[in-house]
Amino acid sequence: MKDDTLREVEQFLYREARMLDTRRFAEWLELFSDDLRYWMPTRSNRYPLNSKAISIVDASRYEEEEVSGEDELAIMEETKDTLERRVARLDTGMAWAEDPPSRTRHIITNIEVEAGDSAGELRVYSNFVMYRNRGQTDEDFYVGSREDVLRRESGQLRIKYRKIVLDQNVLLAKNVSNFF
Amino acid sequence: MVLDVKSLVDAEAGLISRRIFIEDEIYQEELERIFARCWLFLCHESQIPEPGDFITTYMGEDSVLVMRDTSGKIGAFLNVCPHRGNRLCRADNGNASAFICAYHGWAFNNQGNLQAVPNLQDAYYNDLDRSKWGLIPVAQLDTYKGLVFATFDKTAPSLMDYLGGMTWYLDSFFDRREGGVEIIGGVHRWIIPCNWKLPAENFGGDAYHVSWNHLSALTSGFTRAPAARQTSGGGTLSPGNGHCVLAVGAEDYAAAPLEIIQEYEESIRAETLDRLGPRMERMTPNVGTLFPHMSFLRGSSRSLRVWHPKGPDKIEVIACQFVDKAAPQEVKDALRVTGLRAFGPSGVLEQDDMDNWEECTRTNRGAVTRRYALNYQMGLGHDSFDEEMGAWSSDFRFSDSNPRYFYQRWAQLMQADSWDQV
Repeated sequence: MKDDTLREVEQFLYREARMLDTRRFAEWLELFSDDLRYWMPTRSNRYPLNSKAISIVDASRYEEEEVSGEDELAIMEETKDTLERRVARLDTGMAWAEDPPSRTRHIITNIEVEAGDSAGELRVYSNFVMYRNRGQTDEDFYVGSREDVLRRESGQLRIKYRKIVLDQNVLLAKNVSNFF
Repeated sequence: MVLDVKSLVDAEAGLISRRIFIEDEIYQEELERIFARCWLFLCHESQIPEPGDFITTYMGEDSVLVMRDTSGKIGAFLNVCPHRGNRLCRADNGNASAFICAYHGWAFNNQGNLQAVPNLQDAYYNDLDRSKWGLIPVAQLDTYKGLVFATFDKTAPSLMDYLGGMTWYLDSFFDRREGGVEIIGGVHRWIIPCNWKLPAENFGGDAYHVSWNHLSALTSGFTRAPAARQTSGGGTLSPGNGHCVLAVGAEDYAAAPLEIIQEYEESIRAETLDRLGPRMERMTPNVGTLFPHMSFLRGSSRSLRVWHPKGPDKIEVIACQFVDKAAPQEVKDALRVTGLRAFGPSGVLEQDDMDNWEECTRTNRGAVTRRYALNYQMGLGHDSFDEEMGAWSSDFRFSDSNPRYFYQRWAQLMQADSWDQV
């Protein structure tokens, strides 16, 4: 991957993080393609196939995978339209989970850029730490990874796919009212 | 400890003490008198369909392992090794003929029997009666329409007696069509710093909060929300034993405003009426709580959840989504995505509830605050027994009628030394 592409993607993701942390959600929405899939699966605790903690009856139907599948329940499974409506809701003055608003800080690291599946697309991996502080003493740490597919539309980078994998089983936050 | 329960719940006056939402002494009594005695929901049969399938959950604060044994029979046990008390199974679900404790290697089959003990011959001199050291089973286990329940109390009434008049209401959620429902793969699990009774009473009886607390979600196009429409019919329904249901008008339903879902609901209406009978021409049940802490919703989400207590001021929610088994796959997919956008940790309706429940719990830490009873007086004296619906029902669809029955049942169980006194 060319250095200038790498730098451009890094700056793109940092700018996006700053938009979220300064609550410029309308601008943030413009970073997404119209055919966006924005997906945050759940994680479960599963014994691997070679675990000696259990004796598996039927290995042929045993699923080792601990990240939920595309046809399973996710924490978020959004389109551009539903993200827009989530943002519109924040503007109603009655979105109590964000009223008063959260203080958030998105730390984006470990950025890797590869060629995507189609010409002109980039696959971008990153890690994040998202700190949320709200009210007087509420604190949530969200740590995880993202896999993005970016493409260029009218010269601008746009996100058409984002998979957010959070490193928690039982979600320790009471609610997920922020974006990643 | 002898609790003066009468000073805590005065259902006739519509006054409830704040102490029951915060005090640890009361919470410890709840673990004994409510959670160690009542029938509690474990899972749906479709979550453990094959021999050896298992799932871990809680009954009160007790960790429980639910499994289908090799012959296909469902059993439930404390998920605790009887030897040193280690938690036996650390997976959320899976498939196993045997479980081996990580500490010393005691091995149990999927019927809970202790099969193997390392060094049985030399260290125990073969002098250990393995038949006495199997996993500790629940006292009774039974299923209703695919819902698996258990109780740790061998003197508890049968599941059918415990459910009582709630069975028809459960049918209206979980048995509307041939084949009943199935659970979509995956669960939501999350922590809310609130007392378990607040979400239980909210799902069981609070139609009032929808039109204010959830207005932002209603106006952003996430739900049709008939409960918030002033013209909607429906009402509150208490079929007995503390169970509570809220209903919307007969022609109404609260699904997401998606054509595919609306078309589906219209297409099955005749079948549903035929199956469930004339009550469905009166109103459509759309949310409820089975006492004490299993709640379900067939609105903008088809959600089934348990509010597992984790202390007086903390719960772990385990929530899943159910769909009619006979529904086409594209309807199931549409319900999944619209459901998780409305309810669950990121649900645009549900995320506004947590703050309220948290603050309604936390403020009770104040000694002076705690002196003042809470108001459950809405619609006091304005409900009656509706013979046709088989339930106590309020005259107006917003009422504290259901929570009053819920807390009355709570108080009965907290006072009663045996089921005969309930």
